[in-house]
Amino acid sequence: MSTSSQVMPPSLPEEENIDELLTLTPQLARKRRSQFRIIVDRFTRNRLAVAGFFVLALMGLAALLAPLLYHATATYDPSTYINLRESPAFQVPSWQHLLGTDDVGRDEMARILYGGRVSLLIGLSSMFMAIFVGVTIGALAGYFGGIVDNLLMRVTDIILAIPLYLLLFVLSASFSNGSIFSVVLLIALFGWTYTARLVRSEFLALKEREFVMAARTLGASNLRLMVRHILPNAAGPIIVSATLLVGANIITESILSFFGFGIQVPLASWGTMVSDAKDYFLTHPILALSPGICILLVVLSFNLMGDGLRDALDPYLTER
Amino acid sequence: MGRYIIRRLLQAIPLLFLVSIVVFSLIHLIPGGAEAVFLNPRLSGAARAAIAHNLGLDQPIVVQYLLWIKGAITGNFGNSFVDGQTVISDVSARVGPTVELFGSALIFALILAIPLGITSAVRQYSIVDYTITFFSYFGISMPIFFFALIMQELFAVKLGWLPDYGRSSDATYASSFDYVLDYLLHLILPMIVLSLAFMASWSRYTRASMLDVKRQDYMRTAQSKGVGPIPILARHGLRNALIPVLTVVALDFGAIAGGAAVTETIFAWPGLGSFFIESLTGRDYPVLMAMLLMSAVVVIFFNLVADVLYGVLDPRIRYN
Amino acid sequence: MGKLLEITNLKTYFRTREGWVHAVDGVSFSIDQGEKLGIVGESGCGKSVTALSIMRLIPHPPGETLDGSILFGEQDLLEISESAMRKIRGKQIGMIFQDPLTSLNPVLTIGYQITEVLKLHMGLDTQQAKRRAIELLREVGIPEAERRINSYPHQFSGGMRQRVMIAIALACRPQLIIADEPTTALDVTVQAQILELINSISSEYNSAVMLITHDLGVVAGMTDRVVVMYAGHVIEMAPTDELFANPRHPYTLGLLASIPRLDIGRQEELTPIEGAPPDLLHPPQGCPFMPRCIFATNQCKAPPPLRAVGNNHVAACWYDVNQPAEQQRAATRREARAHHLAMLDATAQAILASSQDSRAAPDSDESAASSSDGPATVTKAGED
Repeated sequence: MSTSSQVMPPSLPEEENIDELLTLTPQLARKRRSQFRIIVDRFTRNRLAVAGFFVLALMGLAALLAPLLYHATATYDPSTYINLRESPAFQVPSWQHLLGTDDVGRDEMARILYGGRVSLLIGLSSMFMAIFVGVTIGALAGYFGGIVDNLLMRVTDIILAIPLYLLLFVLSASFSNGSIFSVVLLIALFGWTYTARLVRSEFLALKEREFVMAARTLGASNLRLMVRHILPNAAGPIIVSATLLVGANIITESILSFFGFGIQVPLASWGTMVSDAKDYFLTHPILALSPGICILLVVLSFNLMGDGLRDALDPYLTER
Repeated sequence: MGRYIIRRLLQAIPLLFLVSIVVFSLIHLIPGGAEAVFLNPRLSGAARAAIAHNLGLDQPIVVQYLLWIKGAITGNFGNSFVDGQTVISDVSARVGPTVELFGSALIFALILAIPLGITSAVRQYSIVDYTITFFSYFGISMPIFFFALIMQELFAVKLGWLPDYGRSSDATYASSFDYVLDYLLHLILPMIVLSLAFMASWSRYTRASMLDVKRQDYMRTAQSKGVGPIPILARHGLRNALIPVLTVVALDFGAIAGGAAVTETIFAWPGLGSFFIESLTGRDYPVLMAMLLMSAVVVIFFNLVADVLYGVLDPRIRYN
Repeated sequence: MGKLLEITNLKTYFRTREGWVHAVDGVSFSIDQGEKLGIVGESGCGKSVTALSIMRLIPHPPGETLDGSILFGEQDLLEISESAMRKIRGKQIGMIFQDPLTSLNPVLTIGYQITEVLKLHMGLDTQQAKRRAIELLREVGIPEAERRINSYPHQFSGGMRQRVMIAIALACRPQLIIADEPTTALDVTVQAQILELINSISSEYNSAVMLITHDLGVVAGMTDRVVVMYAGHVIEMAPTDELFANPRHPYTLGLLASIPRLDIGRQEELTPIEGAPPDLLHPPQGCPFMPRCIFATNQCKAPPPLRAVGNNHVAACWYDVNQPAEQQRAATRREARAHHLAMLDATAQAILASSQDSRAAPDSDESAASSSDGPATVTKAGED
C-alpha cells in the first residue's frame, strides 16, 4: 500500500524541466479569489463606502447600548426620556449632559440615542418588510407574466399615481396611532413599489436564460426555480436598493414625525426632536442641529454604502 | 408615435377610475369625518338629519361615490367643508403659488444639475468632480425640513438678508417693480430649499450617464474621424447621455402634484402642499379627495410625457 | 511606391493595479503606399493596440505609448501635437472598427456621420457633402442611397452598417485604411462581400490597407504581405504566398496546422497549439513563444531577433524549423513529452487509488499526503 504512494515521476530529458510544464498555464498558477472575496475587496477599495459602513456601525452600536449607558448613569425613564433627577432646562453641554438639556430639562444626548433607536429601528424594519413584499410581488409578476403581471402592475401603478407624501399623510391620519409598528407598516406599504419594479425586470430577463431552462428540464418546480435559481442572480440589485431604501425610509419617517403624522408622544424619534426644537433654533441651535445632523449622517452613510455595494457587485467590472 | 400616445391615454382612464375608488375609500376611512365636522352632537336629531340629507351623507356609500365621480368628471368637486366655497375655487387659489415655487425650483435645479453632472464626468477624478459628487451626496441625504430650517434661520432670521416666510410682505408698494422684487426675495429661499434634492439627484444621474456614454465605441469612432473634443462631447456624447436623464427629469416633474408640503409649511407659502395639510387637519373631505385625484392626473400625465419624450429623443424607439 | 508608414520599436503598455501590461512590446514593421498588409495573431497579441497606437487613440489613464516612432510620410505621429493628429485622423488615415453596431452613433443619422468628415476635412458645404455622401453610399453598395442617407444605424443590417463604416473611413480618400477585424462580427456569407468591398475600393483610391484579423483565411485572399504577431511582438513577416507555403516560425506553423482543412482527407484530431498565451503582466524573458514551443531549447532564453530567412521574409526564431533535422528533433520531443504526461497521469491515478485504499488504513495517510504535492500540481497544469 505505501509503495504505490512512493512512486516518483520519471525524469525528463535535460533540456526540459518541470517549471516549463508549469508555465503552460500561467492563469492557473495565479491565485484565485472566491467571488465573495472579490466583492469584499472591491467594496473596501471605496473609502467613502467603508467610512459610511463604520459610521453606521458606530451609530448602531451607540443606539443599541443606549439603555446601558443611561441606566447606569442616571435614574431615567426611557418612555419620556426625562431624567428623574430634575435638571434645569437649556443647559449647555457639559460632562454631565454631553449635549446639554432641552426645553424640559431632558438630557439631549440620551434623547438622541433613544431617538436613534426609534429612527433606525423604523428605517430597518420598514426596509425588510418592503423588500420582502417587493421581491415577492416583483418575482411573481416577472416570472409568471401575463395576467398575474398585469394585475400586480396595475396595483403598483395605482399606488404610484398618488404622490407618496399626500398618501402617507392621509393614511397616518386614518390608521396610525403613533406607535413604531404602525409607522413601520405605513412606510413599508409604499416602499415596496420600487423594489417590485426592479425585481420584476430582473426576473423577466433572467427567466429566459439557459440555466433556468436547464433547471426546469431537471424537474425543478416553479417555486424552486424562483427562489433557488433566479433570485440569487438578482440579489445584487436587490441588496443595493435595500441599502438605499433604509436611508429613504429614515427620511420619510423623519418628515412624517416632523409634521406629527408619524411617531407621537411619548415616543420620540429624531424627526420629532427637530420639530420640538425648531422654535428654539436661534437661541439653542444644538437642540435642533444634533438630531438633524444625525439623520443626515445616517442617511449619507447608507447612501455611500449603497453606492459602494452597487460598484462592488457590478457584473460589468472585470476581475481587476 | 401618435397611436402610442392615444393608446397610453386610453390606458390611463381605467387607471384613474381605480385611483378614484381608492382615493374615495381612503378619505372616508379617516376617523372623524363629515359627521364630526357638521353633525355636532349637540344639535337635535332632526337638524342633524336635515344637514346629513343636504350633504348627501344619508345615501349609501356607493351612491355617494358615483355622485362624486360624476361631478368630478365635469370639474365639480362640491363645496369645501371648511369655508363653503367650491372646492375648485379654493384649490385654484392655491395652485398658482405652488406652480411658481415648484416650477422655479425644478427649472433652477435643471439649469444647474446638467452642467454640473457633465463637468463632473468630463473631469472625472479631479477636485471638481469630487466636490460636485460630495455635494450631491449631501443633497440627496439631507432631510428637506432640516435644510429648510437651517436656511431659514441662517439667511432670514440671523442674517436678515431675506424674508423668513410668506409670499409677500404686508407693506404697500411704491411701484409694481417693488412688488415683483419683494416677491422674488420671498421666493428665493424656499426655491433653493426645494431644488436641492432634485439638483443633487439629477447631477448624479447626468454624471453617471455621461460616464457611460464616454466608454462607448462610437465615441472612439468619432475620435478616429478627427472630430475635436468639444463637438465630440456636445454632438456625439450629450445627445445620447441626456436621453435617460431627461426622462427621469420628466418623471420627477410629476412630483409637482404632491406639492411641496414641507417647504410650503415651513416658509408659510400659500400653496397646495400647505393647503393639503390644513385640509387634512380640518377634515375637509371634498378638498382632500379632489386634490388627491387631481394630483394623480398630474402624475399620470407626466409619466406619459416621460415616455413620449423617450420616444422622441431616441431614434431607436421612434422608428420601430 | 515608397514607404507610407514606418513603425519602429513601438511600445505601448497599460497601467494596472498589479503593474504594467506589455500589450505591444517592441513592434516594428512598415507599409508601402498602396500595399495591403495583413496583421495576424490571436486575441491579446497586441494587433488592435498597435492599430490604436498608430491613430493615437489609446485611452490615456490606463494606456501609454512609451517608446518608438511611427513615421507617416515625414512626420512622427508620436511626436506631433494632438491638433495636428486630428487633421490626419479621418483624412489621411481612416479606420474601420470591428463592431459596426456599437461603433456607429445611434442617435445620429448615417448621413450626418458621413458628412461630418467631409465638412471637417474637405471643407465641403452641406449640400456638397450630402451629394458626396450619397455617392459614397452607392459606391459601398447601399441601395436607395438618397433615402437611406437619413436613416439611423439601427435601421440597417450588420453588413450594411459595416459598409457605412467603410464609407465613412474612405470618404476623404485616405492614404491608409486600418481595418480592425472588420468581418469578425458579421455573418460568414457577408464577410466575403465586405472584404471584397474593402479590396476594390482601396485599390480604386490607391489607399494602403492594414487588415487586422485573427483569421488566416481572411488574409489569404486579400493581402500582399503578412505580419504575424504574438504576445506583443512581431514574430514573422513575409509576402502572403510565401508565408503560407514556407512558414518559418513555430507559432505560424502551429497556426497553419490548426486550421481544419477540406482538401486533406479526414484527420483524426485537430492539432491545436498546446498551452495558452503568456501573462503580459510579467512577460517571460527570451522568446515569448518558448513555453509552448516544441522546438525550444535553453538557447531560446535569449530573445531571438527577426532574422532573414528568405526573400523579404523574416522570422524571430533561432532555428530553421523547415529543416528535416529540426523537425525530427521536434517530433522526438513531442513523443517524449506525450510519454511523460502519460506517466504523470498514471502516477496520479495510482496515488488516487492508494489514497482511497488508505482511507481504511489511516497510518499511511501522511505519506500519501506529502508525496502527492509534487505530481498532483504538475498534473493539473498538464491537463490543460
